[in-house]
Amino acid sequence: MDFDRHCREESVLVDVQEALLKGKKEEVEKLIDETLALGLPAARVLNEGLIVGMDRLGVLFKNGEVFIPEVLVAARAMNAGMARLEPLLVKEGIQPKGNIVIGTVKGDLHDIGKNLVAMMLKGAGYRIIDLGIDVSAEKFVAAATEGRADIVALSALLTTTMVQMRGIVEALRSNGLKIPVIIGGAPVTRAYADEIKAEGYAPDAASAVEEVGRLLKG
Amino acid sequence: MLRTQPVPSRKWEGCSKDNQSPQQAGGRMSCSMTPRELVKRSLELRSPVRVPRQLWLLPWAIDRHPKEVAEIQARFPDDIVTSPPFYKEALRTAGEEYAPGIFIDEWGCVFENRQRGIMGEVKEPLIRDWREWETVRVPRERLSVNTERVNDFCRTTDRFVLAKTSARPFEQLQFLRKPENLFLDLVDQPPELLRLLERIHSFYLEEMTLWAETEVDALVFSDDWGSQSSLLVSPSLWRRMFKPLYRDYIDVGHQYGKYVFMHSDGCIADILGDLVELGLDALNSQLFCMDIEELGRSYAGKLTFWGEIDRQYLLPFGTAAEVAAAVEKVHVCLYREGGVIAQCEFGVAAKPENVRAVFEAWEKIFLG
Repeated sequence: MDFDRHCREESVLVDVQEALLKGKKEEVEKLIDETLALGLPAARVLNEGLIVGMDRLGVLFKNGEVFIPEVLVAARAMNAGMARLEPLLVKEGIQPKGNIVIGTVKGDLHDIGKNLVAMMLKGAGYRIIDLGIDVSAEKFVAAATEGRADIVALSALLTTTMVQMRGIVEALRSNGLKIPVIIGGAPVTRAYADEIKAEGYAPDAASAVEEVGRLLKG
Repeated sequence: MLRTQPVPSRKWEGCSKDNQSPQQAGGRMSCSMTPRELVKRSLELRSPVRVPRQLWLLPWAIDRHPKEVAEIQARFPDDIVTSPPFYKEALRTAGEEYAPGIFIDEWGCVFENRQRGIMGEVKEPLIRDWREWETVRVPRERLSVNTERVNDFCRTTDRFVLAKTSARPFEQLQFLRKPENLFLDLVDQPPELLRLLERIHSFYLEEMTLWAETEVDALVFSDDWGSQSSLLVSPSLWRRMFKPLYRDYIDVGHQYGKYVFMHSDGCIADILGDLVELGLDALNSQLFCMDIEELGRSYAGKLTFWGEIDRQYLLPFGTAAEVAAAVEKVHVCLYREGGVIAQCEFGVAAKPENVRAVFEAWEKIFLG
């Protein structure tokens, strides 16, 4: 009996990952309930189920094996699973891996890329403070201060709005905030990140998770 | 998104700016050859004396650089023009498409914009719930084209004429549902999605057929399928849901003896072979998001590359020398006695001198 239970404890976490990868929201919820019924700590379900699942999804996305629709349905399933876990995580005193302030820069209304990055980061265990679109440098500074941000993430789709990123980096620095900044968006390049002294750059949502991990370790 | 702007009709004069003889200009066409014939020769790989030209203008460029735009257009006249639709009934739109504020398109989709000269974004879906799908009104005013006036337009220009067709099923679905909702729908596949797509497609086919019956040279459709480095959706989903629609558009054009052009932004290398298989005649894509050498190896001579030169980096930030090198690369990789149109977009942040350099570089390649 104990052996069977142990086996199920291991396999149910893999099942959570698989259901997440397929974007099966109801199945994820059902499996999370099962993990809790088995007595698994919420932190373990999060780390070995949902986060590993999102991590696997990120690899598939980066390799061109899944695309935006599959990422979005997986994120939807992730959110459903998190809704089950969050009250328990609070009780267990589990903290997010870090606080990330994210937004699309002033003058730019495009948000699907930014939302994908936010979803992937949330799926990787970070707390996301999403400022939305058309966000001024002042708002980034205020949110980074109030939210005790560990990373500030900037998105822009347009060549004309990309240039706002420089001002945001400068505003953070001039306010004494040495928080690493990561940038991304269609026209953005590593060279541009270097030029404006942004510490991080990601060409896609999956890379953003890796880059944030690198920046926080560094 | 397709953003061509009609420009005033202008006759192409002579084989080169210096009015060289045909022999001096390459000896492959007579000076009486019209821009229309030049474009057709390019599409059919029949050794045009030079690549045809087309400059796409965003309103931003006209607002910011009116003098330079006029100078480039005068020096490098377009060989391709879009026919006005001469609608008998006005499209039911509201607001200005390229102005800050709200714009409502002819389907009722609401766009928000912050910057003059570019298009806005849909922030609230028209179809919030799939139960509302039947309330979507097809903009039948687009079928009120005055075909006699279109035909007059075609007869009085010697340039190659594109139809003002509006087919963009994927983008229109995004506008109606908001992109993120639509991406979820593509996985969930609610039956209403397919019914709506069928309705949209039937309308577009009707519009395509209407224009195919006029004297335009080519039909056009568009949909942005690429992100910076890959397709937005899986190739299998694209093949299952959207390729058949494009097959229909291309077939309508060909049945009426028209060429068919498509625009699609982003990295779309994974579906280029499909578009060739469908018989697409010309494709406008972001070549510089893809491996141009590989595109050349696989597809040069199989369809015409209707531009472009990198508008994300080179035109706004590059030098004229870098632009010229990019043009040379496109020429070497993709030109096969035709199969290339010197199109570029004078869009947001592009430097006028770099746009000019695109056409200067092409001119130098062909006319020395």
